[in-house]
Amino acid sequence: MNSVPIPSWPRRVASVWWRHVRVYSSSLFSNALPPFVEPLIFLAGIGLGLGKYIVSMDGVPYIQFLAVGLVLTSSMYTASFENTFGTFIRLEFDKVYDGMQAASLTVRDLMVGELLFTATKGAFFASAVLAILACFGLVTSPGMLWGIPLGFLTAGMFGALAMLVTSFVTNINHFNFYFTLFISPLFFFSGVVFPLSQLPEGVRWLAGVVPLTHPVELLRAAAGGHSEFGVVWNLVYLVLFVPLVGWAAVRRMRRRLVS
Amino acid sequence: MPAIIVDHVHKSYEEFRAVNDVSFRVETGEFYGLLGPNGAGKSSLMRMLYNKTERTSGTIEVLGFDPARDELSIKYLSGIVPQDDNLDVDLDVETNLQVYANFYGLAARAARERIHELLDFLELSEKKRAKIRELSGGMRRRLIIARALLNNPQLLILDEPTTGLDPQVRHLIWDKLRLLKKQGLTLMLTTHYMEEAFQLCDRLAIVDRGTKVLEGKPIDLVKGHIEAYVLEIIQREASARLTYQGPVRRETIQDRVLFFSDSAAELEAIAGGLSPGDFYLRQSNLEDVFLKTTGRSLHE
Repeated sequence: MNSVPIPSWPRRVASVWWRHVRVYSSSLFSNALPPFVEPLIFLAGIGLGLGKYIVSMDGVPYIQFLAVGLVLTSSMYTASFENTFGTFIRLEFDKVYDGMQAASLTVRDLMVGELLFTATKGAFFASAVLAILACFGLVTSPGMLWGIPLGFLTAGMFGALAMLVTSFVTNINHFNFYFTLFISPLFFFSGVVFPLSQLPEGVRWLAGVVPLTHPVELLRAAAGGHSEFGVVWNLVYLVLFVPLVGWAAVRRMRRRLVS
Repeated sequence: MPAIIVDHVHKSYEEFRAVNDVSFRVETGEFYGLLGPNGAGKSSLMRMLYNKTERTSGTIEVLGFDPARDELSIKYLSGIVPQDDNLDVDLDVETNLQVYANFYGLAARAARERIHELLDFLELSEKKRAKIRELSGGMRRRLIIARALLNNPQLLILDEPTTGLDPQVRHLIWDKLRLLKKQGLTLMLTTHYMEEAFQLCDRLAIVDRGTKVLEGKPIDLVKGHIEAYVLEIIQREASARLTYQGPVRRETIQDRVLFFSDSAAELEAIAGGLSPGDFYLRQSNLEDVFLKTTGRSLHE
């Protein structure tokens, strides 16, 4: 009976990934420009202003310290937007998934393909930041290039987390809470703008639990800097977080899409 | 072998029973319709065929597969036209189809040929490069039908395919669906347009409040379940002047009075005393059967 030539699941996941690439590149100008402009603005702001007051941090020029973190915060932001607002709009307003579910795809194919795209986008954003940093002579070690695979993983983590959040959300405005209360604090307390050793002892462990810390620490270590929690724990965290949270997100989304 | 077997199927959403013990079969090559008011359970039934909705109990077989276990086989072999427009608004017409051809694993060249063929078939070739936002409602519907046909399906499932469309587009879509049936496709549709069901379906079931009320060929349903003729009297004041007391079924709906009879002469006799603009004598149709079986009150 089972002679139906359904594409294999990697093929199906790849076809979903391709759908997102097509949609993303259909407005290339407005989609691909911001990742290059944003770090420019940041560097200008720091270089012209803040950098004059803070000369060095953790033994390196401040602008260089900050540069390492910026590679990955861009991946975090893009993934968080993609799988909160983006996923929600596809789910509730454009009904894109309803259409795709009518093709030979399962909800799991849809969501895994989507997260894979988010991760790809994260790697692209990290590359864009690295390119701008290179223009300013801020890519001081070849280890910084680990930012590209780490950007992929960072976006995978935040994409999965955002998708899990989205699976509970019924009103698009509720994402404001997620961004204000979770994503924004991460920017400041994950070792991006100042070293984790500066955090009070009592709350430092918190930084070891939240997601952004780990890829940032790994990239610092790769670029020859200091890692507070150790490379092993950071790696273990990353490797476990993506499949676990991703699995939960896919399960929850299935409940939204199959009645 | 029947293309679709639905056997004693139930669907409950928490407190609400959407589908209650429905059974029907659709033969291969047949055009089958589900006719019912809003909220009758038509869409739930359709979605259960490809496991977009999970049934609570009963058995379903589509092209020999159980949707709960083998939704991918069913979706690979069937085209599905959902009720809502869900095209990729950021992509143009052709790319929308390319993306879906890729979901089915069609090779690039085969996909290109198939897309060309389908755009031609649904008279959308000129709109190949148009953005979805530039398309009218009727064009969008046709594009969704083209999308459902990409993988040369054996079965086409359409959930209210012409709701909200103007008569020209509706007739165009009907013609295309008839052509597809001629090519050997099995088709199943839901609608609340009586004329659509009457024109297209070989057989249909009337569903109401989750249960199947009637089933049969449209013409037989009209013949077997309602008198042949209807006299509609539009003004109640006019009907007040009537003195007729014969064996004719009478129904009063707000300001209108309806007389039903198998004899046109009887009804003409009743209408005799009225002025021309006050009445309308016609053959009964599926809508009369529908209203008789599902009731005249609003189903909201």
